[in-house]
Amino acid sequence: MSEKVSKKTVRVNKPTHDLARYSCPYCLDTFDSFEAIKSHIIDKHKAEPLPEPEGTIHLTINGQKYRFQVEPDWTLHYLIHDRLGFTGTKLMCDRGACGSCTVIMNGRPILSCMTLAIECNGKQIETVEGIAASGHPLVEAYVKHHCMQCGYCTPGFVVTAKALLDRNLNPTEQEIREALGGNLCRCGTYPQHPKAILEAAQTLREAK
Amino acid sequence: MDRLFEEMPSNPMEHDRYIPETFREIGKRGVRRIDGYRKASGQAVYTRDIQLPGMLYARFLTSPYPNAKIRSMNTGKAEALYGVRAVLRYDDPEIRGKKITSTQGSEEEVLSEYAYFQGQPLGAVVVADTEDIAAQALGLIEVDWEERPFVLDQVEALETGAALARPQWSSAPKGTIMEDWAPPSELSNQMPVSFGFGPVLHFGDIDKGFGEAEVVVEFTARRHYHGCPDAEMLSGITRWEGECVELWLHHQHPYEHKWTMHEWFGIPMNHIKIHSPYNGAMFGGWNWMDYSMIPQYVSALMAKRTGRPVKWIFSRRDDFTFGQMDVMTSDYRVGARRDGTITAVRIKSIYANCSFEGASHILENTRIPNIYSETMLAQVNKGPTMAIRCEQSPPCFCLSQVFNHVAAELGMDPADVALINDGAEGKNMEELAEFKRSHGFPDRDSLRECVEAGKKSIGWDRKWHAPGARKLPNGRMHGMGFIWSQEWDDTRGAGSAGLMIQADGTVNIIALRSDIGLNAETAYCQIVAEELGMRAEDVFFRQQDDVYLPLMTPDGSCNLTTNGYVMKKIAKLAKQKLLELATTPSHLIERDIPAAFPGLKPADLDVKDSFVYVRADPSNRKSVKDVVKDLKGSVILPREYAAIQNTSHEPVYVWAWHRQGRFGLEPGRHRLCRQAHFCEIEVDTETGEIEITRVVNANDVGKAISPEAVEGQQYGGTYMGIGRNHSEEYVWDGPTGVILNGNLLDYKFATIHEVGSVDTIIIETGLGYGPYGSIGVGEDVGTITSYLLHSAVYNAIGKWVDDAPITPDKVLKALGKA
Repeated sequence: MSEKVSKKTVRVNKPTHDLARYSCPYCLDTFDSFEAIKSHIIDKHKAEPLPEPEGTIHLTINGQKYRFQVEPDWTLHYLIHDRLGFTGTKLMCDRGACGSCTVIMNGRPILSCMTLAIECNGKQIETVEGIAASGHPLVEAYVKHHCMQCGYCTPGFVVTAKALLDRNLNPTEQEIREALGGNLCRCGTYPQHPKAILEAAQTLREAK
Repeated sequence: MDRLFEEMPSNPMEHDRYIPETFREIGKRGVRRIDGYRKASGQAVYTRDIQLPGMLYARFLTSPYPNAKIRSMNTGKAEALYGVRAVLRYDDPEIRGKKITSTQGSEEEVLSEYAYFQGQPLGAVVVADTEDIAAQALGLIEVDWEERPFVLDQVEALETGAALARPQWSSAPKGTIMEDWAPPSELSNQMPVSFGFGPVLHFGDIDKGFGEAEVVVEFTARRHYHGCPDAEMLSGITRWEGECVELWLHHQHPYEHKWTMHEWFGIPMNHIKIHSPYNGAMFGGWNWMDYSMIPQYVSALMAKRTGRPVKWIFSRRDDFTFGQMDVMTSDYRVGARRDGTITAVRIKSIYANCSFEGASHILENTRIPNIYSETMLAQVNKGPTMAIRCEQSPPCFCLSQVFNHVAAELGMDPADVALINDGAEGKNMEELAEFKRSHGFPDRDSLRECVEAGKKSIGWDRKWHAPGARKLPNGRMHGMGFIWSQEWDDTRGAGSAGLMIQADGTVNIIALRSDIGLNAETAYCQIVAEELGMRAEDVFFRQQDDVYLPLMTPDGSCNLTTNGYVMKKIAKLAKQKLLELATTPSHLIERDIPAAFPGLKPADLDVKDSFVYVRADPSNRKSVKDVVKDLKGSVILPREYAAIQNTSHEPVYVWAWHRQGRFGLEPGRHRLCRQAHFCEIEVDTETGEIEITRVVNANDVGKAISPEAVEGQQYGGTYMGIGRNHSEEYVWDGPTGVILNGNLLDYKFATIHEVGSVDTIIIETGLGYGPYGSIGVGEDVGTITSYLLHSAVYNAIGKWVDDAPITPDKVLKALGKA
């Protein structure tokens, strides 16, 4: 006579029909529960049980988490400006010559019009909107020193300058000019920028 | 009311007679830019940023050839591409053969089948869900082109046997506008001159002038094609809402689109709404092209057909379709006496696509008595040229060439030659002083003040030397440059605006204008604040939307002066209304409300710092807010103050119109303000490269309303001006007529490194025709500093490079090294 072994009974919605059972997309084995198939995929196939659609990327933009499904040919600029509506980041030359599309990605200023969105999975991005919302002293310094005329290139400059100040709180005028050498301004506001950046740098140093 | 208007200047010849002794807001530094935060934070919205629900994108087909005709076109594959919603073809029954009017006075084909420059928009427009799909569809359009011979140079274009740039004109049907351009009996590229004094300007007696000369110089100078695509790529949106239409315009003349939409579609103007969002750099250019309104027509037509808003867009390459109207080859013969007086100037110029009178500054701001200028104009297979900051480029080019060569020939300081020849229309400075006296202008010598201040700033007396005489320790040749001319603005145009004081005492200026970043709107707030007695921060101007009153909209430098007078008028009218309100009790049906200042008359009061006060006792004052606040209260319960506007008294709302002169000069109205610019350069004689280490700008703006705005134009004008003679040039491939550098990598705007340092000097002589004796500056520096480099290069290497832009190859050639 066998010992009675108590079994824990787990009530499940047992599929009543073959087609309703969970079928593994890799090996076609079938399972009775969603939990079971998930465990199987992780253990047997070492894969993500709920794969995201192709082209899914995760970004953190200005401190907020986003998930997008992107076409392979979308630039990061297109994603930010056209899909997300952060229109501060501008398109001017459309080939990496003007700096108007600059955003900060994982701490570095990059040209969003020359960066594919699909390559940005997992990155942290700061746009000019985020920099302004955080009350960075650069923005007010830019206003005070009239670093804008038409204003189209201004966000690109603000972002580039912020990236500079993130790594160097005491830049010389020459270092500022080097940092801004990749930003075009047709209105020619250039002489005003070093003044604003030096002032913002001082504000930041004093705040420390 | 009549007396008020009597006080306002309406005679364009006279100086503003109503200038306060002291200013509170005008000329003040540190007034916060009202567009600054929006632009620095990325929140300012441009047409390119705007997306409407369901919006489609329209792209134009462009010509791959410089001179061609469409024989036939197959758009089947483009139409079949997923996401393409419509394709408009040149032979569409609604547009074929149709001429639509532009407000420049021309009649344009919507989509031509003739191309006369490579990159010309024509033939077809694709309307699709996305920009990318539209671009892809363009590539699927199959065209059978008839290629034709082409000509790229204006001198060549006028030679016998030259290819015809626009051969279709030779078969122009009678009675069309094209008949004016090419007389049917001749086949020629020559066109009537566009602007100025006609094909010949003869002032004085040119032969007599050469007879009096002790030295004569002759030389040729060429200015090559350059331009300015806007920072923001061109686009515009049309949206229909039933029988009403709404436009978003990246255009310097937004209000004119109300007229054109009315003309084109038969809609009454009162059904049309326009928006003028911020504009990413506009310097004339596109906005002066006859064709510039046509894309909006296309977007309106296609929006109607598709039932969705349509945004037409130009790619960056598409934007390279036009250039500055100073493409010229000019031959000079100049006579002078050894004491520096120039006795005769003879210029013969051939322009491409658009001309201006190159001798106009020599006539308008010198006392040179004898001038003979011949202008010819030829059509070539390059994009149209028109004013890009600005049409005064040829006069600046010609004046600087003349003065540079004379000064060099005589071994004189070029600034001295300038001062010796300063004047106007043959009149010398004594005669000009008499003009100033009789027209109410202060007796000041504008050029002398600019020159003295500029020389001091750059250290001219210490640094200027004989040509080619100073080699620097780094091996380069040191050079000093100088240029001068009038400070122009034309002070012309008409504008209207309204003003309203809100229930909280803040003031709105009410008008539509397009913004191109000069800080003009802040300056207008300063004028209103000054004349009304408000603090500048209590006055605001939001100009992006259609409020039915249009101010003079950016074109040339005329705006601040014309619009400034409108601001003066509305401020004075508002003050009058405000003081009447302050002294008038309200008799409402159920309530009597005493005046804020009972028993007094408006003449007993004044306004200062946003307070209304009693003149005899300034401590007796009430804020403007307290004077205008609504006292009716809510409908049910009486309350001292309610948010409802205009229930206890009529709104404090006024409006005014002002018209100021006409384009150019009224006869006898002399240009009195001057500008002088200096530079310091180093020339590398091995590479031919020029480094511009210092530029000093001295501009007599008459009166600076916003000093920071003036400086912005001096800084910006320097970079744009220098860049346009240093690194900017459109380059065509000779054999194919294709533009090789239609992008911002290969067409080089100045970067921050282009100029070492820029000094700005604001001279205020009050010699302008605008309010407070002001005159414009927006165009001046950007135009004139281009030609600063010619005298500097000569001073550095002792050789002339008269052609512009001064690229390294030209320097090396002048040195005999290439």
